[in-house]
Amino acid sequence: MNDLTLIRKNLFRKKLRAILLTFSIMIAFLIFGALGAFYNVWTAGVDLAAANRLITVNRINFTQDMPIAYYSRVQSVQGVENVSHANWFGGYYQDPRNFVQTFAVEPETWLSVYPEMVMPDDQRAAFITDRTCLLVGADLAAQFEWSLGDRIPLNSNIWQQNDGSSDWDFNICAIFDGAEETAPSNYAVFHYEYYNESLAFNRDRIGWMVVTTTGSDINDAVIREVDALFANSSAETETTTEAAFNKAFLEQVGNIAMILLSVIGAAFATILMIVGTTMIMAINERTKEIAVMKTLGFPSPRIFRMVLAESVLLSFVGGLVGLGLATLIVNGAAGALAGFLPGLSMPMDVVGIALGLMLALGLITGVGPALAAQRLSIIDAFNKH
Amino acid sequence: MFSQTLAVTMINLRSIPQRWALSLATVFSIALVVAVLLGFLAMANGFRATLSSTGSDDVAIMLRGGSQAELNSGLSLDQQRLIEEAPGIARDAEGEAIVSGELYVIVDGIKRSSQTEANLPLRGVGAAAPSLRDNFSIVEGRMFEVGSNELLVGQSVQREFEGFDLGQSIRLGTNEWVVVGTFSTGGSVFESEIWADLGTIQNLYQRGTSIQSIRAQLSSPEAIEELRTYAENEPRLNLDINNEVEYFAEQAGGTSDLIMFLGWPLAIAMAVGALAGAWNTMYSSVDTRMKEIATLRAIGFSGSSAAIGTMVESLLLAALGGLVGALAVYLVFDGISASTLGSGFTQVVFSFAVTSDAVFGGIILALIVGFLGGFVPALRAARVPLLAVHRSS
Amino acid sequence: MTALYTLTDLSKRYTRGKESITIFEQLDMTIDQGDFISIMGPSGSGKTTLLNLLGGIDRPSSGAVDCEGTRVDKLSEGKLAKWRSQHVGFIFQFYNLMPTLSAAQNVELPLLLTNLSGKERKRRVETALDIVGILDRKGHRPAQLSGGQQQRVGIARAIVADPKVLLCDEPTGDLDRNTADEVLETLQLLNRELNKTIVMVTHDPAAAGYASRQLNLDKGRFVETGAA
Repeated sequence: MNDLTLIRKNLFRKKLRAILLTFSIMIAFLIFGALGAFYNVWTAGVDLAAANRLITVNRINFTQDMPIAYYSRVQSVQGVENVSHANWFGGYYQDPRNFVQTFAVEPETWLSVYPEMVMPDDQRAAFITDRTCLLVGADLAAQFEWSLGDRIPLNSNIWQQNDGSSDWDFNICAIFDGAEETAPSNYAVFHYEYYNESLAFNRDRIGWMVVTTTGSDINDAVIREVDALFANSSAETETTTEAAFNKAFLEQVGNIAMILLSVIGAAFATILMIVGTTMIMAINERTKEIAVMKTLGFPSPRIFRMVLAESVLLSFVGGLVGLGLATLIVNGAAGALAGFLPGLSMPMDVVGIALGLMLALGLITGVGPALAAQRLSIIDAFNKH
Repeated sequence: MFSQTLAVTMINLRSIPQRWALSLATVFSIALVVAVLLGFLAMANGFRATLSSTGSDDVAIMLRGGSQAELNSGLSLDQQRLIEEAPGIARDAEGEAIVSGELYVIVDGIKRSSQTEANLPLRGVGAAAPSLRDNFSIVEGRMFEVGSNELLVGQSVQREFEGFDLGQSIRLGTNEWVVVGTFSTGGSVFESEIWADLGTIQNLYQRGTSIQSIRAQLSSPEAIEELRTYAENEPRLNLDINNEVEYFAEQAGGTSDLIMFLGWPLAIAMAVGALAGAWNTMYSSVDTRMKEIATLRAIGFSGSSAAIGTMVESLLLAALGGLVGALAVYLVFDGISASTLGSGFTQVVFSFAVTSDAVFGGIILALIVGFLGGFVPALRAARVPLLAVHRSS
Repeated sequence: MTALYTLTDLSKRYTRGKESITIFEQLDMTIDQGDFISIMGPSGSGKTTLLNLLGGIDRPSSGAVDCEGTRVDKLSEGKLAKWRSQHVGFIFQFYNLMPTLSAAQNVELPLLLTNLSGKERKRRVETALDIVGILDRKGHRPAQLSGGQQQRVGIARAIVADPKVLLCDEPTGDLDRNTADEVLETLQLLNRELNKTIVMVTHDPAAAGYASRQLNLDKGRFVETGAA
């Protein structure tokens, strides 16, 4: 027997009570883990953004386009390493409900501004040379069960070809994956030339440009210079860092962080109250036993530590089970949500914060009872009975 | 039997102060569960209410076939002329078909709440546009003039975004505009839009004479079939034709369903957590009164009256929690204005709506928690051994 | 005979509200090594308070409690706890066993305050249980034991760390006559065979009869009533 035996026996003295408390702590950490993983993927675009990557869009709004001529003018700006450009294709496969995120891009430069898109060298070469190649992300390929060499049509809900049709034939000649697990691979890209040449209207326009600088310290200078190039033209531009652009886009949906924080806050307020009051009650019930321990010579600091350890143990038991369940749920949902939220997994920093919260919850709910136990006067405790 | 139960229940309730901290924790944890649920439902209902109050079944909206959304669509002036001649379209006093060709571009506005840029629809409309919106009225100022750079701003835009006060001039992209009026459409989604003259928009954004959508007043809701038949038989028209009610209902679906699908599981998970708390509270309620219950049993009270007393206490705490939660959400959230990205890829401003249905659902959830939390402890109360009378503590 | 305890000019007062209650004043007493003292007296005479002062769980208002040269009344809280664990064994009227622990674990509790190895602790626990005659029940929890058996576990817990003195507060107050006699005989045995000094507070004249020195505490004064 040692102190841990005593702590454990005290904690599980009333089994049902201990189980119920563990259960409610588990739920709170389940919610925290699941929402934390969700939020991590939701903001992955901000976190994954390369520090030296800039996005140039039409100043009116990023849905407005600009002339293709801008592309070569930006290339000559000092401090620019690479430039590529893209158009939103609005693609779908067979049925308008089968939305396929597709961009028409300048192929070679696209791969150099997005080095996190990885694929075998022969596929990379095939994509650059084959005009009708569709470079498909691994998650997207899995979703539609496409494989290398498939010939598929994609429809656009925006663009039409010269002949009035809106379906475009593609040859899947390359499949890319994200260099990191959270890097998205739920989209496809193809040659701008193929797109532009067959357009019925709106030719020679590009949607936006992606610019990499030679170093993130000169981002501000490059941003100023690029936007100055097109000032007072009919299509002024607005250049921002990729992180800022992605963040602004997420903000459009709403203050998701605040909603999630409120829910997590409510869940934790609940367990703080339930566990806190129950711990106070549990220690109250043991007043006399604690007095006996003190009489036997157990020093007050040791009693303090034992009571605190009890609530911390409770918090970790419930918390770890909850976090484990959250991981199972997140991994289970990752496949089903790959198209919508690619790279869903339990991130290490959420685990870290959860462990911190477990410790904090244990300490907060335990410190009051532990202090009460430490200060307990033997004489008063015996006189009460 | 009834008076027995009543007596035991009263004894139960009078003993709550002995466990005030635990009872309060139960009430608040159930309140938080209900608050989270109602918060999500208020969001979903508010968003749905905004979109479903939009559109009427005798207005047809026409887009290019397969384009799905106004933003993707493109139509010509010739096609609008063909629609003006179509059957099933209502005509005004002068015999003109009530048809409005419209075009919108997305511009950036600054959201007051976050100070970030967000997509706003700048819609170019003609003279017929107001008559095609139910409850349209100009709240402040006047209509823009044809060919001018004047803006008529929806009330919601003015509320949620900066720089759209009457008389103010505002730069959207490269162009300067002047706000000359504010309009209301009774809370519908059009209030999240900025209107300007169609010709001005076509000109400034190099759209020639093209438009994106055609709205038309139908002579009756059923007349949409005549219109469809006409369009199908006209080779120059490749259109998707819907009535506005269907069109907006489809748009509302995704977002509000998503909120609901998030809100309910979260609330249920939290309810299960609170259930553990309620159970614990009721368990200690029975525990601390073991001797008292046994004494009552010994002098002839029935086991079921002890059980019912415990159950009533549990349900009462739960109901109180439910009411506190509902009231808090009502006071804090009801009517709060928020905006999100709608399916038109632009901001839709809506107000949180705490509905009586949602409150009812929340209270039911609270009572379920109370019932399940009280059930086992109540059984235990009914089975307290008579010998517990002699227990020392 | 060497003196184990020397109490000098001992006073104890409580303040209850505005009222000051004097339990005893200027009390002098010596307890010798190997004494078995019983203290009787009416309720409120200060019997338990005296026991608490001897055990170092209460402090006098003035005066000195000296135990083998240690001024018990002057020790800090932490030192006092350590002193108790090494010098004093407590035996309570209601046994005060930990309900979640087995008999053996209850007895082992004071040994957690020592550096003894697990094996040595086990040996000592079994010896203590054997001395009080309850080794066969070592795996039982208190609720599974009778009152007399629980008190035996209580006595085993008190002697396991081998203290010099046992302080007993109404050790047989909750037991029937026969069981009480058995427990008292065990105490007598511990006094005679293991040379434990015992101070026992009791209401029961028959219990007091087992002591070698019988004191009566009344109105804060001792009256020696007899010696065996």
